[in-house]
Amino acid sequence: MPLLLDRQIAENTWQFVEESLPADTGNADLVVPFELLPQLLDQHQGRCGVRVPGELPYEELLPFLERVALIEIEFPIFRDGRGFSLARLLRRAGFTGEVRAVGDVSRDRLGYMERCGFNAWMISDERFSESDLQAFAEISVRYQAGADDPRPIYRQQ
Amino acid sequence: MYQYNEVDQRIVNERVEQFRDQTRRFLAGELPEEEFQVLRLMNGLYIQRQAPMLRVAIPYGLLSSEQLRKLAHIARVYDHGYAHFTTRTNIQYNWPKLEQVPDILAELAEVQMHAIQTSGNCIRNTTTSHFAGIEATEVEDPRPWCEIIRQWSTLHPEFAYLPRKFKIAVTGGPEDRAASQVHDIGLHLVRNDQGEVGFEVLVGGGLGRTPFIGKVIRDFLPKQDLISYLEAILRVYNLKGRRDNKYKARIKILVDAMGADAFRELVEAEWAHIRDSELRLTDAEVERVKGYFAPFAYDAAAADDASLNQHLAEDQDFRVWYERNTREHKAPGYRIVTVSLKPHLGAPGDATDLQMEVVADLANQYSFNEIRVTHDQNLVLGEVKQADLYSVWQTLVEHNLARANIGTLTDMICCPGFDFCSLANAKTLNIADDINAAFDDLDYLYDLGEIRLNMSGCINACGHHHVGHIGILGVDKKGEDWYQITLGGSSREDASLGKVLGKSVAADEVPETLRRILLTYVEQRIEGERFLDTVRRIGMDPFKEKVYAAAA
Repeated sequence: MPLLLDRQIAENTWQFVEESLPADTGNADLVVPFELLPQLLDQHQGRCGVRVPGELPYEELLPFLERVALIEIEFPIFRDGRGFSLARLLRRAGFTGEVRAVGDVSRDRLGYMERCGFNAWMISDERFSESDLQAFAEISVRYQAGADDPRPIYRQQ
Repeated sequence: MYQYNEVDQRIVNERVEQFRDQTRRFLAGELPEEEFQVLRLMNGLYIQRQAPMLRVAIPYGLLSSEQLRKLAHIARVYDHGYAHFTTRTNIQYNWPKLEQVPDILAELAEVQMHAIQTSGNCIRNTTTSHFAGIEATEVEDPRPWCEIIRQWSTLHPEFAYLPRKFKIAVTGGPEDRAASQVHDIGLHLVRNDQGEVGFEVLVGGGLGRTPFIGKVIRDFLPKQDLISYLEAILRVYNLKGRRDNKYKARIKILVDAMGADAFRELVEAEWAHIRDSELRLTDAEVERVKGYFAPFAYDAAAADDASLNQHLAEDQDFRVWYERNTREHKAPGYRIVTVSLKPHLGAPGDATDLQMEVVADLANQYSFNEIRVTHDQNLVLGEVKQADLYSVWQTLVEHNLARANIGTLTDMICCPGFDFCSLANAKTLNIADDINAAFDDLDYLYDLGEIRLNMSGCINACGHHHVGHIGILGVDKKGEDWYQITLGGSSREDASLGKVLGKSVAADEVPETLRRILLTYVEQRIEGERFLDTVRRIGMDPFKEKVYAAAA
């Protein structure tokens, strides 16, 4: 499954562990559901990531922001827009690691997602095309403040 | 009116090319149907009963003559020579071809127009009073604020996939001509005790399946904080609004479920994070936008004209039209002219390409090149010198645009109904014709006075039936069209939801039912009392008795 990272096709080094963690997790980059995050942080020597649904209140993530390198936000269906706000709130809270969109992710939301603070996208093989990278340049004007630029149009010069 | 700068133009141009590519990928099979549906809806394109329907945005209902001519051109070249004005002051084309839509959008962009966010689960066209800027009772012209909201809401990256559609209305003074209390957000320009102007903020109003009157969550919002406060409301809604059931996904359901106080607390908590951010509007920006809406240079001698009185004395038809379809302008010697799109036996809100061009020419010649679209589906020439009224009237008469019925029973709001809309349960246009045929006597209509009749072909309530003094809702009963009548609604500053009269009536019984309702009013009214006030005073029972007694 192709990964876009900072507007480039990249190698995915992260491994998703959905259920129980093995006793020895080694030094890999591991991402787990929110429920397993405390345990992962407790025992894992490598980099830690967490996968959350869009409806998770961002306050619940605040205690962990300095200790995770990746937050994956799930998009269960194309129309679900909660993750856009969650990403913005996480960036506002100061999270500087990778914010990755997973699930139903495809070209026509990449630009908006980037402006809300996402910098990585997992796109399924059947929906991915190299031309997806052009999506970021489709709209060059930013009326609104975003995670990428806190200035709305009336403060841009 | 507002003029695009280079940035505004670029965003519209780029959106046209983006949509052109989305359409190309869809037609090439690269974009799944269900995704293209969401994307095309956000650009106003529906697939309807007969053909695609394209809804073009008319921001806060304001058009230049050049823009209206372009709309006429599109109707002629890409459609069947007419179009339909809606209650969001937008315009709909019922017969465009999918593959031609990108070209239509490119033509619109040439005159600073677009179809961005005229549908879909995003922030829709912001509306306001059609008399904005020309009414003496106004606290402040709401249109600059509408334009600021237009820019903020256009292609907002965070609020494009909301739980459901989202509509904002702004009023400039105590008179509410924008149905603001039945909007997701209603903003009222008000003056506080210190004499400062700001906004009263309402949330959670709406029509549809579950109608609500909006609740005030803030009595006074400083104007500079408008964008940060809107952003806080939308963020709370985007995160907390229901997504499991589209009939319960509007903000009104969220506000009702948690209560206005709890909702306010969430908004204020979020707002505390962003109030002092760069979202705060700058004086320079507010002044820049206001500059586009400065009052015109009115002729100080306009009121000296004596010809108006002479025409009024000599021409009774003109006088009747003058009394019904024009009203006072804040500048002496000027009148506000409503162009009736409610002809006898014609679809309410429809206009032909020629009619649009005629109105565009009249605006160009007599009304500072501007046209307003009203939420009750008429057009307005806002600033006509009294000396020019007779010429304007003659031209309107020639093109069937001068029916002297504004504010009367036949000036009805009506959705296109089953004839066009794939959501509709019942036809509306035939009922509108029947009502027109049954109530053609103008003297009788004038005696009845101000009556707002609103009709929807289904529970989605595009025809605002809940807030009609008389509301008609089409329902499907075993494959037949039936009509439920409500009384006592209002979308004005005294907003209220109509109450159901009783069991629904068959299509051919609608005119007779109305006749009995109106007879009851005439019998029961006290001197000078409007229909709505009589309903409010005497309640539903006398009307029920009159309508259903004979049938029993």
